Amino acid sequence: MDTHVTLGGLPLANLARKPLRTMALLAVVTVLSIALFGGTMLGMNLGNGMRSMERRLGADLMVVPQNSANQAEALLTGSNSSTFYFTRDIARKVERADGIAQATEQTYISSLAAACCEEKLQIIGYDPDTDFVIAPWVASQFQGELEDGQMVAGANVNVSVDGTIELYGRSWPVVAQLANTGTGLDNSVFINQRTVPDMVEASAAVSKRVMPEEYADKAVSTVMIKVKDGYDPQTVAANIKRLDTRFADLGYVYPGGVTAATKTALDALTGYMAAFVAALWAMGVIVLLAVFAASANERKREFASLRIMGATRGMVDGVIAKEAAVIGAAGGVVGVALGALGILPFSALIGSRLQLPYLQAGPWTVIGLALLAIACSTVVGVVSSFAVMGRISRGDADIILKEGR
Amino acid sequence: MKNKLIASAPAIVLGALTAIAPQTFAHACRGHGTFGACHWSQQAATGIGAVILVLGVVALFSGPKTRVGLNIAVIANALLLLAVPTFLIGICPGAMMHCRMVMLPTLIVLGVLAVVFAAAGAWLDSRTRA
Repeated sequence: MDTHVTLGGLPLANLARKPLRTMALLAVVTVLSIALFGGTMLGMNLGNGMRSMERRLGADLMVVPQNSANQAEALLTGSNSSTFYFTRDIARKVERADGIAQATEQTYISSLAAACCEEKLQIIGYDPDTDFVIAPWVASQFQGELEDGQMVAGANVNVSVDGTIELYGRSWPVVAQLANTGTGLDNSVFINQRTVPDMVEASAAVSKRVMPEEYADKAVSTVMIKVKDGYDPQTVAANIKRLDTRFADLGYVYPGGVTAATKTALDALTGYMAAFVAALWAMGVIVLLAVFAASANERKREFASLRIMGATRGMVDGVIAKEAAVIGAAGGVVGVALGALGILPFSALIGSRLQLPYLQAGPWTVIGLALLAIACSTVVGVVSSFAVMGRISRGDADIILKEGR
Repeated sequence: MKNKLIASAPAIVLGALTAIAPQTFAHACRGHGTFGACHWSQQAATGIGAVILVLGVVALFSGPKTRVGLNIAVIANALLLLAVPTFLIGICPGAMMHCRMVMLPTLIVLGVLAVVFAAAGAWLDSRTRA
């Protein structure tokens, strides 16, 4: 069978006839593409989660029961659900301290894990009349009044088709389901404070009572405080402690500090990741240069023959650049596909295992990132080939052929 | 020989993984009072994985034209593998359930890889002159 190879088809024919070299170059570019696409997307998702968490923390200070500060912090970062409480009379006293602009009470109940579920559901009772923390972002999806017995569900909560949640043997109507935040709030349901006693009774009916009956209507887990201008949260905490000697034993959580600590951990993680990706790219580019340089020597006669047959230097350079571009683009596409296959389906698992706020970027961002990774891989391939173009096309074709004889 | 390996080894490896994963690390949710949808998806995936494994082993001892057919069968089975947890049988609805977090993505990755490798194997063998 006659095969007629044109100058345009020559790069592909060259790649097909040297499968081992093509596969080796493809493997290098694929690894680079996976590192760029995967590393950037993970970093971006962690950043999205962090920003989402910052937006959800509307209070400057949380006052929680004795020995509950760590649980409250875990709840903020979304790593654990829990139940803790003091009584409403303590909360009301706390709210009288100097320097408080706004204060609202919340009650946290950790549901028993449903038999089939990995995580417990965090039930958050809030007071819609005084709330300044939850309402602002709940308002984006639900603007009515949350009636007694109704729920607003986080993004990961399993709401049945009839719009209810099965909890403690009862069906609770869900009025809205919130968008994904990448934080523990996605595994939470929100109820008004008047529904808390109902929830406690329901828990007693089917399993272990989540709190004693006498506390059901006066349990408060935290007082969320927004401080007045000119006060810092530490000063307000000191003012609260001065109200009553017993208040010195309460837990004081500064969400800004929690955010800063999480941000530091996240910055360290993304920093290491960026350094790793950069090192991998540096090594990859060196490997590509080495492979192209080695193949340039090996192919001197091949390109000299092309020149003898009438190809200009530009044509020979074009063949080399096209080969490199094809390898770069193909490696980029394979790398992006593998990276996407490794990250996108496992998004929930990655977020859950990292124990850091993790919010998957939207489809357009992912597509943009994929195109960027493919473009970068192609450019790196072509730029690496530039280094050898001069050496191949500069020499006199006749001399090169004679040297090789 | 090279084509034979490309056309059979991925099916053997991916078939074995598909058969083993749902019974081990990528299992269905445990603790349902009665078996839920994820359990039946898990069992179906194991069976489909075993079939893909067998097809891969048979491909190892077959000629190019037969391997094309076997790889088409692998593609059909892999598509079935993708369809089982997504819409034929389904899994639990909760986003944080083990079947949704681990089993579903594992089966999707294995299914997609099986389709891609089988298509590549079939294409390579279809170009071989008998």
